[in-house]
Amino acid sequence: MMISLVLLLPILLGLLSYITKNKVVNRIALLGTPLVNILVASAYWFNYQWDWAPGWLSEYFRVDSIGLYFFSVMTIVFSSVAIYSLSYFKQHNFSLKQESVYIFEILLFVMAMTGVIMATHLALLWVFVEATTLTSALLIYFEKKKSSLEAAWKYVYICSIGITLAFVGIILLSIASRSIDSLFFTDLYKRASEINPFWLKIAFAFIFVGLGTKIGIAPFHAWLPDAHSEAPSPVSALLSGTLLNTAFLGIFRVQEIFVFADLESFSNFLFLGTGFLSLMVCSVFILRLKNYKRMLAYSSIENMGLLFIALSLGKTGIFIVLLQVLAHSLSKTSLFLTSGNILYLYKSKKIDDVSCLLKKDPRTGWLWIISMLAIIGMPPFPVFLSKFLIVKALWTQGLTWLTIPFFLFLVIITYGMSRAVFNMAFGDKENLTHNKLTYTAYLPQIVLLIILLVIGINLPREMLNFINSIAGLIN
Amino acid sequence: MTDILIILLGTTMLYVFAVSRIEAYVKTLAFQGVLLFLLVIIDIKQIYWFNIAFLGIETLAIKAIIIPYFLLKVIRKNEIVREVEPFITQFYSLLIGVLIFIFGFIAAFWASKTNTGIKPLYFGTSLVLIIASLFLIVNRKKIITHILCYLMLENGIFLLSLSVANEMPMLVNIGVLLDFFVGVYLFAIFFNKIHEMYDGGHIDVLTELKD
Repeated sequence: MMISLVLLLPILLGLLSYITKNKVVNRIALLGTPLVNILVASAYWFNYQWDWAPGWLSEYFRVDSIGLYFFSVMTIVFSSVAIYSLSYFKQHNFSLKQESVYIFEILLFVMAMTGVIMATHLALLWVFVEATTLTSALLIYFEKKKSSLEAAWKYVYICSIGITLAFVGIILLSIASRSIDSLFFTDLYKRASEINPFWLKIAFAFIFVGLGTKIGIAPFHAWLPDAHSEAPSPVSALLSGTLLNTAFLGIFRVQEIFVFADLESFSNFLFLGTGFLSLMVCSVFILRLKNYKRMLAYSSIENMGLLFIALSLGKTGIFIVLLQVLAHSLSKTSLFLTSGNILYLYKSKKIDDVSCLLKKDPRTGWLWIISMLAIIGMPPFPVFLSKFLIVKALWTQGLTWLTIPFFLFLVIITYGMSRAVFNMAFGDKENLTHNKLTYTAYLPQIVLLIILLVIGINLPREMLNFINSIAGLIN
Repeated sequence: MTDILIILLGTTMLYVFAVSRIEAYVKTLAFQGVLLFLLVIIDIKQIYWFNIAFLGIETLAIKAIIIPYFLLKVIRKNEIVREVEPFITQFYSLLIGVLIFIFGFIAAFWASKTNTGIKPLYFGTSLVLIIASLFLIVNRKKIITHILCYLMLENGIFLLSLSVANEMPMLVNIGVLLDFFVGVYLFAIFFNKIHEMYDGGHIDVLTELKD
């Protein structure tokens, strides 16, 4: 029942707001859906289950512990985006019709991501990943500018080809596992040793390319900076904070087959290579970026690279992955939402056009600086912890030499990002347009940063146990 | 009979390598749709009749009639006649096409030895269709050609999924879904928008966003 609620309610409310185009309905749809998601997530956290569902539904959708974790992260990000959207509407003076379209698309997008997280069947997961592309493409083109059309086209085209290749991978996997004759993850895990290893590896290569395109891992990242910089800021936050994670969960679930078939050295090698390549791509580009939203997009590539490196480290890696997913999503959401404020205040995405932010709007300025500190991994923010644990794991697993490029890339990225952010925050060029922002333009980021600080300073014991139990379950 | 159909399907790809008129691409696409329709009704026996009926209607109606008709309309409305000079000339791309064929079939015969019940002809042709369309996408410049080659890529994948149709009919149906949504719904919308905004659907105009 709870699963059907989170899957069907967004569609219903979205349709309702699309049809009625009424202000009250719009607000209820936009703020009600995250509220329901929060309620459902907390019900699962407190082990309250209301298990009434039609049989076919509970067979194809299930909330396991890792799914619950990703769903909770998504819910936090989506709630902040929903609140920020109120300010976004006000900044642009959208008509009720445009608001309804926006809400309709964003709710469908969230529904598709929920489907990815809860799917228990590989092909179903694929269908929902495809659905995320279709729904989010329209959101990227929401402001109807020439450049956003270009970004949306590149996004749709590149991701469609990627996802098509992932489908080839699924077909090859079903060839490899003829004796199992099922694509449910549980069946695949249980009988992983029966799968023909040669075909499993080929199938994985295709699925990796397909979902990797969606994650935006280098070298399949071409669409990511364009889409993230051209989308409306709340949508960028949603793309970076949740879409990348959900696609990552897809890879994660497929990779489990390798763990059960004792072939993880193959997938780990791929993860380690692409992870470091992503760090490199980010560090090469970050020094010459002129556009601050693109800078954030490249930082997403970097963080996905960190996730892949952590995933390749085996058992200890799972803990780092889960911590990093949470830390990256929250800090990146905060950054993208704040970048929406800056875009509104200065009407420009160029780093050079923005200066003296702290004087012009101190709250935005401080949010911008603190969020940047959170993403580059200043202690006590949790990104620091995950980076530290990666280095420690590399060290203990005899990959000490890899810490040298790791530190090198991280130093360059940290320098590049902080240089841009400080140039924007300080300076003396006065620029006298006075746009006022409402409190909904600050509130979500403040809450996100407080959550991050609490986790970073003192990780709640329940959460630690929960993450450990997931890590234990999987290995 | 199925062998002949599959070989014909492969040959259409070589034809695409050689031509540059956009309408010829669309007609090839429609022809591929008809061939896939015949393959579905001849070759698949072990699944429910309504599944076959669904696939048959899908291949004939959507792949062979609706999508090509729609694309032809777009092409005539926008007066796109032929592909501009591709990055690699016609002759060399035909040569590369032949190489792709050789590679595809060697790979398929080699793979059929791994004892997974792969039919080399099916597998090889679908591999050729997939790789060749990817090559064409990289090599051609018009956005409409990109869409057409993407649809050919889908045909290749459809053929591949037919080889597991008897065990997992669901996979084939999902492939159909992809076709429908991506092919018609989104590409058509975005293509028309790009044509309106940029005046001439040519990928060289899409260079505003870069680092």
